[in-house]
Amino acid sequence: MDLTRIELTLHVNGRPEEFAAPPNELLVERLRDGLGLTGTKVGCDTGQCGTCVVRLDGRSVKSCLILTASAAGSEVTTIEGVTTPGGELTGLQEALRQEHGTQCGFCTPGMVMALGELVETARAEGAAGGPPPTEPEIREWLTGNLCRCTGYHSVVRGVQRACAPAEPEGR
Amino acid sequence: MTTTTPAQDSQEPAGVLGRPLDSREDPGLLRGEATYVADIDLPGTVHMAILGSPVAHARILSIDTKAAEQLPGVLKAATAADFPDVMPLPCIWIPGGVESHFPPHPYGLPGARPVLTGDTVRHVGDPIAVVVAETPRQAAAALAAISVEYEPLPVVTRADHALADGAPQLHEAVPGNLNAYWTCGDKDRTDAAVAAAEVTVELDLVNQRTINSPIEPRGAVGVYDPATGEYTLHASTQGPHNHRFLLSALVLGIPFNKLRVIAPTVGGSFGTKGYLYPDMALVLLLSKALGGRPVKWVDTRTGLMNSTVQGRDHRQHVTLAGTRDGRITAVRCTSYANLGAYPSTIGPGVATALMGRSISGMYDIPAAFCEVYAAFTNTVPLGAQRGSGRAEAAFLMERLVDRYAAEIGMDPAEVRRRNLVPKEKFPYDNGLGWTYDSGDYRLNLDRALELSGYAGMPARKAAARARGKRLGVGIATYVAVCGVGPSTRMSKEGMLGGTWESANIRVHPTGEVTVTVGSASTGQSHGTVFAQVAADELGIDPGQVQVHEGDTLKAPYGQGTYGSRSYSMAAPAIALTARKIKAKLVRAGAVFLGVPEDRVVYADGGVHEVGNPDNAKTFAELAMAMWYGWGLPPEIEPALDETTHFDPPDFNYPFGTHIAVVEVDELTGETEVVDYTAVDDAGNIGNPKVVAGQIEGSIVHGLGQALMEAAEYDENGVLVSSDLESYALPRAADAPFFTLGRTVTPSPHNPLGAKGAGEIATVPPAAAVVNAVVDALSDLGVRHIDMPLTPEKVWRRLRGEAP
Repeated sequence: MDLTRIELTLHVNGRPEEFAAPPNELLVERLRDGLGLTGTKVGCDTGQCGTCVVRLDGRSVKSCLILTASAAGSEVTTIEGVTTPGGELTGLQEALRQEHGTQCGFCTPGMVMALGELVETARAEGAAGGPPPTEPEIREWLTGNLCRCTGYHSVVRGVQRACAPAEPEGR
Repeated sequence: MTTTTPAQDSQEPAGVLGRPLDSREDPGLLRGEATYVADIDLPGTVHMAILGSPVAHARILSIDTKAAEQLPGVLKAATAADFPDVMPLPCIWIPGGVESHFPPHPYGLPGARPVLTGDTVRHVGDPIAVVVAETPRQAAAALAAISVEYEPLPVVTRADHALADGAPQLHEAVPGNLNAYWTCGDKDRTDAAVAAAEVTVELDLVNQRTINSPIEPRGAVGVYDPATGEYTLHASTQGPHNHRFLLSALVLGIPFNKLRVIAPTVGGSFGTKGYLYPDMALVLLLSKALGGRPVKWVDTRTGLMNSTVQGRDHRQHVTLAGTRDGRITAVRCTSYANLGAYPSTIGPGVATALMGRSISGMYDIPAAFCEVYAAFTNTVPLGAQRGSGRAEAAFLMERLVDRYAAEIGMDPAEVRRRNLVPKEKFPYDNGLGWTYDSGDYRLNLDRALELSGYAGMPARKAAARARGKRLGVGIATYVAVCGVGPSTRMSKEGMLGGTWESANIRVHPTGEVTVTVGSASTGQSHGTVFAQVAADELGIDPGQVQVHEGDTLKAPYGQGTYGSRSYSMAAPAIALTARKIKAKLVRAGAVFLGVPEDRVVYADGGVHEVGNPDNAKTFAELAMAMWYGWGLPPEIEPALDETTHFDPPDFNYPFGTHIAVVEVDELTGETEVVDYTAVDDAGNIGNPKVVAGQIEGSIVHGLGQALMEAAEYDENGVLVSSDLESYALPRAADAPFFTLGRTVTPSPHNPLGAKGAGEIATVPPAAAVVNAVVDALSDLGVRHIDMPLTPEKVWRRLRGEAP
């Protein structure tokens, strides 16, 4: 029995991926180096910056803090699973585009993945008559993601736009 | 909390320039499709890791790499001995001018950093050896198998300490650790004005060292092609042409035309990625040594913090003299600048001229003098950082003005108003070396006071006190020298190299247009804004214009993106090139329309005959006709392909006023920025949406220095704030929305009337916030608090503890 490799399956962006991973491999390494999904970034190595955020069974998580092996059997969604190459943007991405919620773009995929959960929840609650998230709530949600370019304001405005009750066109 | 208001333009722009077009770069970034250095995966790539010194100062007695080379996957280990012909990394900005201190060629500058250190390490992280292996993990693991024997040497981390008698010596060739003593202004007149003054105020300031912290760490991929002898460097750089020049001509000694530098998408920089680093040379050298396999290196966060240039770091004694009725008569500064262990590419110039010549800010002061002692210490080399030099200058001046206002019992806004350079005095010689181009400073200040609701602050202070909060208001004004540069002027500053910028426009036969520029975006939407510039001049749709930059093989020469220069340097080059295209189309149009040249008008992308709009050719028709070249007289060359090298007559000088309102919690010492108003004047701007984003980000960067950021070295020279757990960056909850306003005074020094914009709003926030907190605590006798204003520090001052 080879203890240096662990056989496992991940469901990445809807596709099953079977491979043998070293036990100390981080999920972000598997995604970037093993599967070539480079939209997920590495910015700090210590779980502070949030550029590596992906969705794991629907929840946004920092993939640099998770061993690949511990994600075995899970559904992983990366930025590549959110849109098709060159394809239409999601409502959140479109709102961020309209507010220019990006500059160098390095933190952007992680932000999109982290904020996706917030926006989905807010929209579900909004559909049930709940209020959109407040500005402090949005800023609080964003504290796991660092951005040095924008100062976050355009990102916050983008989230407000994405969560606004009367979403134009529903894109 | 207020909401961000869009920047106010005085009038609707006529064309596409000046409009808030959506960034065309954004969709790709939002889909995660952009390629950064770490995403480059060339066939056969091997991975490099760098062994940095674990100690701040030591003699290396021996290095043994044999064990590392035996490890699985390891292809090569190398030390300084492997590269005997490689020159040290040059410093190309020598304070005081080239003649005064150093030989005109940068080879062998005293203290210049070697690519790998062979004898003495001088800061934690100083590169000693490299390993190349099949995987990044193998390379990193092999570093642990390299044995190095060190003989420890004493350590010094502060500039003023490094200059003291008996201080540890960093470089044999630099006795006393003094890289430069640099002055500007009139010492005698200033000293006399201070001596004769009715009022003088003095401050001892620490402008703490901070770490720029782009979210993307640096990286490099080097490729040597044995078939052609050509090298390609993919690197996270702000200036691919500059790095090509420095690496080929000055460091590696390879022919200029055999080195290509490519900047892929770069994940932020803020100054730090314009510098030459050892890794850039090493990936090229090792690719050659390994027969052409691509060698890739990507830094870690801790690696970045111990190797990428850091910013600020001045200790200053500053003095302001004035009259009892609020007229400033002199300003004086003695600054100890901490250059770190080696002179970085332009760090010494940043620490001196960029700071010193700016100290008088927006004020009309009869006497000013600044002296800088730039010293080597056992810390990471100093370099530029968003707002560099200008931010340190604004900090000292704006702190002094508030001290002065308190001393004479005058409203700080009124003191400022009385001393601003009046509109009719432009161009204004500030007596320190800069000649301000244009401005209406009073209008700018008044706009900021009005937008911030300054008149209502006393009532807000009283209301806050009732809630257990101390409300403070801080004003900071600034002038930021931008538009580097006038090359001849920069040579007098000691810059070894030209600082012009260039652009090429190629009109394709189908009427589409490609613009290539020598700059390189690090997130400033150049593709969007530069297309606006070309489209506006040519009268075509911006969608027809594609912009390329960042690849030395494809782009005309240029110096890169730094000091907020792209829009006032590269964009004018584009506009001037478009004018050449138009002029040529008018000459050719005479042939195509069958009328004399003076009967031809260029309008809306095409040409037509004066008074006869039906005799016309569209842009697409002209493009195709020029491609065919049929019937052109000999003096008109076929095709449309023009280039301009733009070297402005002088710098440009954006300016502005920022007002911070803070609430200090009496129980916790916590400072919350509750309102922030910024009125910046960057002349004519290209895309208000893009600029507003840069201004917002810049302000938060400045707030970071004021409130939380500090590169802390312990007594052994270890950077203890070496990751993002120990070094605090502002997060989304740390700032409210800002109120942004704008005044517009075009610069006469370029055809767009543009001034620098990208980083200028980083210049005043630290001063505004510290002024605000000191205002909040002034009744306790607090006159100054050193940054960062952590809750503990403020809490102690609230309880009357001495600083």
